[in-house]
Amino acid sequence: MPQQASTSEIRGGYKVEVEGQPYTIISNEFVKPGKGQAFNRIKMKHLLTGRVIERTFKSGEKLDIADVTESQMRLLYKEADGVVFMDEKSFEQITIPFANIGDTEQWLLDDNLYNIIFYNGSPVNVEAPTFIEMIIVETAPGDRGNTASGRVLKPAVLESGAKVQVPIFVDQGEKIKVDTRTGEYVSRVNT
Amino acid sequence: MLKASRNFFDQRNVLEVDCPILSPRASVDAHIDLISAHYPGKTPCYMHSSPEYGMKRLMAEGIGDIYQISHVFRDDEISAKHNPEFTMVEWYRLDYDLEEMIDETVQFIRLFVGNLPYSIVNYRDIILEKTGIDYLKASEKELFNYIKRNNIAWYSSILEEGKDALLNLILGSLIEPQLGIDRLCVLAYYPASQAALASKRWHGDECVAERFEVYFQGVELANGYHELTDAKEQRERFEEANIIRVALGKNQLPVDENFLQALEKGLPDCCGVAIGFDRLLMLRQKQSNISEVLPWGWEKA
Repeated sequence: MPQQASTSEIRGGYKVEVEGQPYTIISNEFVKPGKGQAFNRIKMKHLLTGRVIERTFKSGEKLDIADVTESQMRLLYKEADGVVFMDEKSFEQITIPFANIGDTEQWLLDDNLYNIIFYNGSPVNVEAPTFIEMIIVETAPGDRGNTASGRVLKPAVLESGAKVQVPIFVDQGEKIKVDTRTGEYVSRVNT
Repeated sequence: MLKASRNFFDQRNVLEVDCPILSPRASVDAHIDLISAHYPGKTPCYMHSSPEYGMKRLMAEGIGDIYQISHVFRDDEISAKHNPEFTMVEWYRLDYDLEEMIDETVQFIRLFVGNLPYSIVNYRDIILEKTGIDYLKASEKELFNYIKRNNIAWYSSILEEGKDALLNLILGSLIEPQLGIDRLCVLAYYPASQAALASKRWHGDECVAERFEVYFQGVELANGYHELTDAKEQRERFEEANIIRVALGKNQLPVDENFLQALEKGLPDCCGVAIGFDRLLMLRQKQSNISEVLPWGWEKA
């Protein structure tokens, strides 16, 4: 029997299993009109596809807790069909296929730490750290003439392959800090 | 505001009472779960979910108009608008009809939210206006199809639970948030099947419960009845509530025989209302979370 939690215990961040699928709880709202049956309106995001759904449960109903764990692992190297990570403590190595990595692939760089999500014991998702520091491998030289038209950003490619927009004063070969949630440039990093 | 509340009743010659919170007998309601307390050597005791039964026992003794400001307890009710322990202001008026009770309830609420106008809307009318469905004539299937068409998330067992459960979901999901936007909204004349402890009367082709609720900015503030005084019917409603509880997988609750005896002895014709004091404070202070108007909320209790 899986562990269960009642609708009154479930909070944002809980990982539950609904109709055999793993979800992260986004919000849980208790609704009780007048003297009627109370219910909980629960918003949740699919752990693998990211799709958000809303479900209603009668208050007091129990939901299955999904067997989800997270651990920090270091990226060793990329292979043709996947990426090899190593647990820092046990030195255990695992390969995660690109299919399970999705959008995070653009932020993958050797020797960086990533958050690996396990569902029922197998790795299903990779989360990049919120901020990551990387070298620009390709960008055009800053064209001062363009500032007058209000265009102050230019495209750049990072060493992980991610394409971002950077200010025109930043040059190829410089290291910058990027927010991986939005792909936005944060600052230069002094090396 | 407690002082202002007491002044309100003093000016109207309504007597303050303080009925006990703890009893081995329970208030039986299909959808209100009680918090029990352990008393050595006794069967479980229950903390009251409202001082209603005690106050009605006093009314049957002939005490006259009374009010109680009381902490009350409800299991598993936690949200931005719910705390398992909260403060209720409840009062009873002899020989008031429902409309007089509504008017006095609104006057009390105005102590907190200012002199807002109010309008009374009929339960049947508001459902018709917002959904185009006449609930009295509609089948369960029609209500369920409406829920599906409007993308209201429903729970799997709702169809088995019947019309009231479907209406309840529509009201709670779609209609309640729109009630009382710029004025106080009094929702009145509920379906007879949702009477709880209210008396019933015929309203054209419809048997309605003489029950009202007051809403402001989508928040339910008060629940009032023209009180049921028939002990036999009250016992039947308790039994029905217990049957529903069992069907929902909940425990049966011991019926309060002392309360039923008081009804048999004779509860005078009266109206009563219960108001959530903390919610009034929320609206007064323009807070969206009940814990902001409590010394501390349940999480820190």
